[in-house]
Amino acid sequence: MTDATLETAAEASTVSRKAVIYGGRLLLAAAIILAWEYEARTLGPLFFAPPLDVLERIVTLALSGRMLTDIAATMRVSAAGFAIAAFCGVLLPFLLRRSLRATEAIEPYIMASMGIPKYALAPWLILWFGIGDLPKLIVVTLVVFYILYITTFAGIRGVDQRLINMARVIGASERVIAREIIWTSLLPFFFTGLKIALPRAVSATIVGEFLVSTEGVGRSIESARQISDTTGVFAGVVIAIALVLTINGIVNLVERWALRWRPVERDMQI
Amino acid sequence: MAATLSEVRTLLEVRQLGKRFAQRQGRDKGHEPSPWVIQDLSFSVRAGEFLTIVGPSGAGKSTLLNIIAQIDTASAGEIVFDGTPVSSRDPRALKPGIDRRIGYVTQDDNLLPWRSTLDNVLFALEVQGRLNDETRAHAETLIRAVGLAGFERYYPHELSGGMRKRTSLIRTLVYDPPVILMDEPFAAVDAQTRTQLQADLLTLWELGRKTIIFVTHDITEAIALGDRALVLSKQPTRIAAEHMIPIPRPRNVKDIFALEGFADVYEKIRADVQ
Repeated sequence: MTDATLETAAEASTVSRKAVIYGGRLLLAAAIILAWEYEARTLGPLFFAPPLDVLERIVTLALSGRMLTDIAATMRVSAAGFAIAAFCGVLLPFLLRRSLRATEAIEPYIMASMGIPKYALAPWLILWFGIGDLPKLIVVTLVVFYILYITTFAGIRGVDQRLINMARVIGASERVIAREIIWTSLLPFFFTGLKIALPRAVSATIVGEFLVSTEGVGRSIESARQISDTTGVFAGVVIAIALVLTINGIVNLVERWALRWRPVERDMQI
Repeated sequence: MAATLSEVRTLLEVRQLGKRFAQRQGRDKGHEPSPWVIQDLSFSVRAGEFLTIVGPSGAGKSTLLNIIAQIDTASAGEIVFDGTPVSSRDPRALKPGIDRRIGYVTQDDNLLPWRSTLDNVLFALEVQGRLNDETRAHAETLIRAVGLAGFERYYPHELSGGMRKRTSLIRTLVYDPPVILMDEPFAAVDAQTRTQLQADLLTLWELGRKTIIFVTHDITEAIALGDRALVLSKQPTRIAAEHMIPIPRPRNVKDIFALEGFADVYEKIRADVQ
């Protein structure tokens, strides 16, 4: 076989592989929707909203503009909380890296504070900060912080010391080492943390909105629940899922670009 | 050859160097001090000399170079660089690379996996703030000289072992440190590539005449490259013997066995390697 035919064969196998994957996904989607429809018919619309009703509701929400304001409200709190948590969760390990003693002194307190049930804290936070965005923001920040703190620290501990030594001999400053070697080495860990943390940030916001809010995806689910509007609950859940999938898709794209130097055996993405 | 060399000034001196590693917690309950890895080791290197050091595996060769490069502390003795003592017992007082005057080509290539061949070579110039048109052109010349032209944009994982070695070699050569330490840089490649890399190294060395300390376990390599070869003892490591290499330069590395004087010095060194 010549190189050209080998290449065509390889291309053909990629194409058929993709066909299998996307075909499989479509089949699964069809199976889930069918099961959903079946449950709705046997259990009744109060317990299981039919897929078509949910779709119709989503279209109504989208056309009325409610959906966009809800998503904007949820994203506002999620993004702000995530940004604060990401900043602290990444910065703190970088600072603690310089002192083993400080790390050992502080670590038990960080682990202990991790044990705080954040959602249970919400009523108390409302007592303190009122019913604005702030209590939700704090819950989101607390949920996300630990994930990024732990993954970043794991990344820093995993940095190849030989690369750091090499850079020092060459004459690199500690700042260059932190930025070029430590930060780049821990990017795979950081993206893993991101993929766990971002959906949680959205979930935490939605749960926060159950308790107190005037808008948001969580508010829309909760107000539907209060009037036993199962279709409304389902529509909210579907919107939340779509939101998380979109965010995950964007993270995957950014990750693929940021880690383009890594050897990739196969197109494995989570 | 030996006579002219002795007239050149001493650039680096290792005096009664000793090294023992800190005890690990939980082990050696009897509080016996950990054994000396290196003890009472002394030698000196002249400016422009190519010194090879031969020693068996586990003879503390890498430890010795780490101490000279100031990545690791000495437990006894001192290192004098250009007339100034530079070693320290305190890890925080170490100055790795002694202000870019000592380059270190390690056993592993230690290339940055996220940088292409060219960017790995330029890394040193970048962090030293010396990246300009002239130095960039110099880097490109070196890349061509070792046959890496066309691979500038490749990432390390896309290169062969020999290519990675060449990249790591010229990454150090490009910023021109007066002393270069080399820790078995060609140990992990096949015999043919190794001969080629040795020839490349000698060509580059003839151009610049850096001071090189080249550590290897391969006697043939030590003879092919060096002006002088030191033989290390088993642990605790010290200098067991010293041999001048009487083979004139330029040397043809591929036919080193056939050159006059090779067999003689090979036999002598082999007798000293334990």
